[in-house]
Amino acid sequence: MSASPLLLALLGDARLPSGGHTQSAGLEPALRAGIAPAEVPAYLRSRLRTVTMVEAGTAVVALAVAANDGDLTEVEAAWAARTPSPALRANGRRLGRGYLRVLQRLWPGPVDAHARTWSRPVVLGLLAHRAGMDPADVARLVGYDDAQTVAAALLKLEPQDPLTIAAWVSELLPNVEKMAGKVAPLRLPEQIPAPGAPLIERWAETHDTITERLFSA
Amino acid sequence: MPENTTAPARAMRLGVAGPVGTGKSSLIATLCRALSGELRLGVITNDIYTDEDARFLRSAGVLDPERIRPVETGACPHTAIRDDVTANLLAAEDLEADFGPLDLVIIESGGDNLTATFSPALVDAQVFVLDVAGGGDVVRKGGPGIARADLLVINKTDLGVHVGVDVERMTREGRSVRQGAPVVALSRHDEASVRTLTGWVRDTLAHYRTGEHTPVDPGPMAPHFHTGQDSEEPHLHTHAHDQDPAHAGHSA
Repeated sequence: MSASPLLLALLGDARLPSGGHTQSAGLEPALRAGIAPAEVPAYLRSRLRTVTMVEAGTAVVALAVAANDGDLTEVEAAWAARTPSPALRANGRRLGRGYLRVLQRLWPGPVDAHARTWSRPVVLGLLAHRAGMDPADVARLVGYDDAQTVAAALLKLEPQDPLTIAAWVSELLPNVEKMAGKVAPLRLPEQIPAPGAPLIERWAETHDTITERLFSA
Repeated sequence: MPENTTAPARAMRLGVAGPVGTGKSSLIATLCRALSGELRLGVITNDIYTDEDARFLRSAGVLDPERIRPVETGACPHTAIRDDVTANLLAAEDLEADFGPLDLVIIESGGDNLTATFSPALVDAQVFVLDVAGGGDVVRKGGPGIARADLLVINKTDLGVHVGVDVERMTREGRSVRQGAPVVALSRHDEASVRTLTGWVRDTLAHYRTGEHTPVDPGPMAPHFHTGQDSEEPHLHTHAHDQDPAHAGHSA
């Protein structure tokens, strides 16, 4: 089954009220740690190859497991094992609760009692199953959302011509497609890729302890 | 007549909005000081650049610091209380889950402009705070918060003489803009005014508990007018008509 492309637009829209405006996809701590705004395109590509691929792979596997009526707790554990930063795990689970609200309102139905403790990609996989999305679209959504989150946060943190930043996202789209193609066939928790991004994880930990910040993570 | 007679299962959520520097945090500290003996409270602050407001309230020593939670708004204080209330709703749920039943969760908006009001999806009632030091004319500028929040507070009345603002006139104009809806002229140094404020909170909470209180969206829109004598147009807003004499008769 394949859902309308407009569903992808709905879920990828920053105006979807799921709490996305509190996020910088690690950009705020990265800038604070010294990366230059001109390096953001490289930062986007690094995320796509590492943490974002973990998220996308997790969402795809969660979709497959949900479709087979399997145990999403195992998918959650696989995601957690690939997300070493406690701050990022806590943030991912807060985002999961935001998407759970979206799921329960737009695609109502019974959910597991543990669902409130699941991370965003696991909830997104469940949502994708309910909404009839195909795996590649879920992976595209995760990749696109991550890039736009960085882009929107950059406009707040190091303002510059918004169209320059939109162009960066546009130029990244083939990379998002490639990443989505790579993870789309995954079906089992152990297949979720496990690339690390130690700096992103470390910056997230530092960010969690400071008192001056615009974004949660 | 009350339209909703189902008693709510959760704490009442009270929003406190208003421009930067009008004394929102201080007002919340005053409420906590006056009410923490009788009500189970929680506080959520929406900080823009820092957790300054949460730290101020924690250091004020008016409430267990754990009951005061900051949420980040991604530089969008307006969004966080209106267009996407997710972060605040989750924080309110967490406070109630962590501290058992609460009576009142106070949510402080990040200081924003005159158009920023809370969505009724987030709060049951809201206070809009101005201060005399911001100028006596601000209240005449109106806007959704000033005109239609459940309560308008004109704060720092003790400063009126120092900044050349006629507090009584400002309060009177507030009542006029609000068509008689409540206005409290407040100074934390004036015990009687604090009692008026806490009395309003108690009354609103009592109405909330009996299901007689209806959350009203002050709305970002300009005030509406009931013009046509026999207009069949539906209202774009919801409000409790029984509390609003100006709307008692549509053909007026």
